[in-house]
Amino acid sequence: MLNRRQMLQQAGAGFGMVGLAGALNSLQAGEAAPTVPHFTPKAKRVIFLFMNGAPSHVDTFDPKPALAKYEGSQPTGELYRKNNGSGYMPSPFKFRAHGESGVVMSELLPNLATHADDLCVLRSMHTNVPNHEPGLLVMHSGHQQPVRPSLGSWCSYGLGTENENLPGYVVLCPGLPVVGPQLWSSSFLPGQHQGMSVDTNEMQVDKLVANLNHPNLTRTQQQRQLEFLGKLNRLHREQRQGEAALDAQIRAMELAFNMQREASEAFDVSREPAHVRDMYGQTAFGQSCLLARRLCENGVRFVQVYYVAKNEKQPWDTHADNNKKHRELCANSDRATAALLTDLKARGMLEDTLVVWGGEFGRTPYAQLDKKQDYAKAGRDHHHTGFSMFLAGGGVRGGLMYGNTDEFGMNAVENRVHVHDLHATILHLLGIDHKRLTYRYSGRDFRLTDVHGEVVRGIIG
Amino acid sequence: MRVQTLTVTTWFSLLLATASTQADENDFFEKKIRPVLVERCFKCHSEQAESVKGGLLLDSRDASHRGGDSGAAVVPGDVEASLLLSAVRYESFEMPPDGKLPESVVADFETWIKSGAHDPRDAPTGEPPSAAIDWDEARRFWAFQPPLSQAIPDDLQPDAIRRPIDAFVVSRLNHSQLTPNPEAPRRVLIRRVTIDLIGLPPTPEEVDAFVNEKAIDAYERLVDRLLASPQYGERWARLWLDLARYAEDQAHIVGNDTSLCYPNAYLYRDWVINSFNEDVPYDQFVRQQLAADFVDPDDAASHVALGFIGLGPKYYRRGDLEVKAEEWEDRVDTVASGLLGLTVACARCHDHKYDPIPTEDYYSLAGVFASTEMFNRPLDDKRESEKNGQTKKAEDAVHIVRDMNPQDLNVFIRGDVKKQGDIAKRQFPRILCPTEPAAFAGGSGRLELADAIVSRGNPLTARVIVNRIWGQLFGRSLVGTPSNFGSLGERPTHPDVLDHLAVGLMESGWSLKRLQREIVLSATYRQSSDIDESKQAIDPANTLLWRMNRRRLSIEAWRDTLLSVSDRLTLRIGGPSIDPQEPDGRRRTAYSRVSRLELDAMLALFDFPDPNAHSPKRNETTTPLQKLFVLNSPFMVRQAESFARRVTAAESANADRIRLAYRVAFGREPNSDELELGLTFLDGCDKAEEQAGWVQYAQIVLASNEMLMVD
Repeated sequence: MLNRRQMLQQAGAGFGMVGLAGALNSLQAGEAAPTVPHFTPKAKRVIFLFMNGAPSHVDTFDPKPALAKYEGSQPTGELYRKNNGSGYMPSPFKFRAHGESGVVMSELLPNLATHADDLCVLRSMHTNVPNHEPGLLVMHSGHQQPVRPSLGSWCSYGLGTENENLPGYVVLCPGLPVVGPQLWSSSFLPGQHQGMSVDTNEMQVDKLVANLNHPNLTRTQQQRQLEFLGKLNRLHREQRQGEAALDAQIRAMELAFNMQREASEAFDVSREPAHVRDMYGQTAFGQSCLLARRLCENGVRFVQVYYVAKNEKQPWDTHADNNKKHRELCANSDRATAALLTDLKARGMLEDTLVVWGGEFGRTPYAQLDKKQDYAKAGRDHHHTGFSMFLAGGGVRGGLMYGNTDEFGMNAVENRVHVHDLHATILHLLGIDHKRLTYRYSGRDFRLTDVHGEVVRGIIG
Repeated sequence: MRVQTLTVTTWFSLLLATASTQADENDFFEKKIRPVLVERCFKCHSEQAESVKGGLLLDSRDASHRGGDSGAAVVPGDVEASLLLSAVRYESFEMPPDGKLPESVVADFETWIKSGAHDPRDAPTGEPPSAAIDWDEARRFWAFQPPLSQAIPDDLQPDAIRRPIDAFVVSRLNHSQLTPNPEAPRRVLIRRVTIDLIGLPPTPEEVDAFVNEKAIDAYERLVDRLLASPQYGERWARLWLDLARYAEDQAHIVGNDTSLCYPNAYLYRDWVINSFNEDVPYDQFVRQQLAADFVDPDDAASHVALGFIGLGPKYYRRGDLEVKAEEWEDRVDTVASGLLGLTVACARCHDHKYDPIPTEDYYSLAGVFASTEMFNRPLDDKRESEKNGQTKKAEDAVHIVRDMNPQDLNVFIRGDVKKQGDIAKRQFPRILCPTEPAAFAGGSGRLELADAIVSRGNPLTARVIVNRIWGQLFGRSLVGTPSNFGSLGERPTHPDVLDHLAVGLMESGWSLKRLQREIVLSATYRQSSDIDESKQAIDPANTLLWRMNRRRLSIEAWRDTLLSVSDRLTLRIGGPSIDPQEPDGRRRTAYSRVSRLELDAMLALFDFPDPNAHSPKRNETTTPLQKLFVLNSPFMVRQAESFARRVTAAESANADRIRLAYRVAFGREPNSDELELGLTFLDGCDKAEEQAGWVQYAQIVLASNEMLMVD
């Protein structure tokens, strides 16, 4: 009996993948399989690191010296929000070019700087609105209202799983982010493409995955119990000739038993050596990045990691004290993200694992003051017309700074990349044509990018 | 001047050249391509297909270019990108499936696509402006023709015919050299019909009584007892609540602000349960849900029915026009897909591409909901309310709707709220009106809308509900796309059955219980579900109904069955919602809290639909995560403990206990293998902890496929 991975290997690239989606479907009734890939994939899996609340681009990846020169002066042109009269605010952080490629980053990201030649920084992102809820929904599902399948669900639907013993799409978050489960909803796609959400507040395996182990029985007892069940089910099946759906049920039960063991291992970061755990940082986000790597190693297709703190659903939302908070947040995110890149690279996984880093939008190049008007503790407001994200691995060109905002970081002006374009590009890297990955629901064919989206060819390696 | 002449001459010769090439190309298409398409492809890929496969139509140029679910079928000039070509070469798909086309024909297709895929055919499914819809022609489509009573075939062997629908089914079977299966054994039949009608298994006593009943009308009396059971409404309400995207909160809740949630949504859910139990005529059922405040303004209690609209999703920043437009789409889609089987919401941004629904018709319906507001009406006089009559707190309210200032909407061009076109008067979709539709005049127009939906002249409403109920009872509906009766939907497998039942429904005063009785009394329903290989060879999908489909229980029926078998079920009707995973819970699954924000993990795992939008039908997935719940969840373990207690308390010998367990769980005796296996298993368990061994055994019975399936 071949397992899925062996089957995949034996079948080779092209048709093996079609078979993959087909084999997944053998477990389901009534679903048409998407025909994928549409072309040779560069990436096999995605890790999306999400900085909830929206990081400031002008403090991280998009240096704007003009902010110092024009400090305090009012932005001109149409602004989405009132600026509280506080004017442009320069970043206090020093920027420098790194690596052979000279990718520029601020001093807040010293560890990522050592990966400069692997990073593809998108400096010209833009999205629809500067509000968290719709911003999050657009970034996750391409649509401002919560009735569409998520990016991860589309990927799972398009690619099928690489390991039947684990879910294809896993979401790691300590508690819930703003908006919550709609962000990983499969909506009208079949239910197994929904992100399996894992609360990473406690990292012990049995706390992470519901119903992973029997509350009372030992594994030996349960194995004996399941052998008995298998016999009863086969007797039942023998009296029902031709009823293939029953085989799928029997198979799913066997898989579940295997999953108990496999998930127990895959989800268990305590099996990692101490130096590896330390490399990621002993924080919820750091350990989640480590867990993401373990899951990918075990065949999970899409892992979404949220940077959320226990009592703070969007820590990057620095309306006040932007500089101090960014210093802390970046220190943590930088360490974990760089460790992930190092680790993936060391295992030869970076080339076919796409890592995405960013938030729902950026932050204003101008200051936001609270009632006390204390400029030393100024914040930055939501900003959606120009911001930065980065991609690494998975077939993107490393050592690249793509696109530009204007002199002040206000608007993406050169090689603009909308969220739909990002989605189209992620699917493209996975071998999927975003215009052809569709699902018929309510009388029409839906797709992640709706009627939008252009693949950003310039960033593909 | 001279230059000009030259230009004109050149232009003329070009035109001539083009004309002659075009004639050649027409010729090539007509001789080499079209006949092959018609003969070998149209059966599955044309407007005339019984069921369009893969969403692909090849009977017009535009449709071939657009392609189906997998992408463009024909890309002029691009052999590689044209899926049609790789399919006939058997490279991507293998088309036609019943045999590869001759090499010469495949070569013709290649030549045709390479040279630009000239295709002289018009585009019947293109984007005709609404003025261009030929309404008389459009009304000829089957779904827009009124359902008519059908002549019942009377030349059939009488033993297979119990009700008129059997005559239609058997006649069709005979055409395909098929005969129906014999009636299922009584033990099978009582489990099937009990689970179908009340969502619970029969008790061992009920099974024994039915099996031993001599009276000729035993089955009829069984059916009548089940239809009269209060548990009937609890089972059938869920069909409706899926359509109504029933939920008790919102998909996103800003901070801790729950003011947009529906803490008393359950009042509407209970209204639906009671309406099914009382067999409220379907036309009245619909009228109340859309317009109870018009139907009976003084009967405030009846207005809870308005929760059908009043529990709809409210989106973030709902004061913005573009967000309002999203909410209107939800209401239009719920009403049109749910009640009419028409995907009117597709026409929000452009005229419907496949059905005769111009954009104006969408905005005509949206206007009704733009004239209606969500209303938190005080539960009673003691509740604090605002000046506008709404309660201060959602907890004090019943969540319904009321009229605002009536307004007609302008068409939003391409769905863009900033680009407003002509006014679309509030009225019913043109295709469903025999003459020019009358503008709604009574307030928002909800009552007129409801009246138009349940009008005897409406060809869709009765068929759509008949089809849904059939789907629940057979596992497959007569029209495979229950919320899309339009041209991209499937055609009915048994149009005569559909129409016979639809006409019967309307003529009998819209009684759903009568409809269900008619169906479950039929020989077609009572067939065994056994697979006969020779019949399967002719009709593998059982489209023609030569057997009953073997079906899997919904999450509701499965969980309720577990509660019933383990003797933990409470039969009280109605009340606030519950957590269905609570191990000590005893209430039926229909009472589960339904959340748009975070649907209960167990419900989501077992294909309960996302309540953020109307659900046409349930997916059916089989996943290892489902089985982890079955193996390890505290809920399952608690049921197993209780079931074990039930059988060990009643009998003392293990063999007797096993027999009792089978009677309770499956309504039958175990066979000798099953008995032997069970005894061996129990013998191998720790003797010191006999009860623990029994709990393990009980869990296996509950986890078995037999528990999950109905034959």
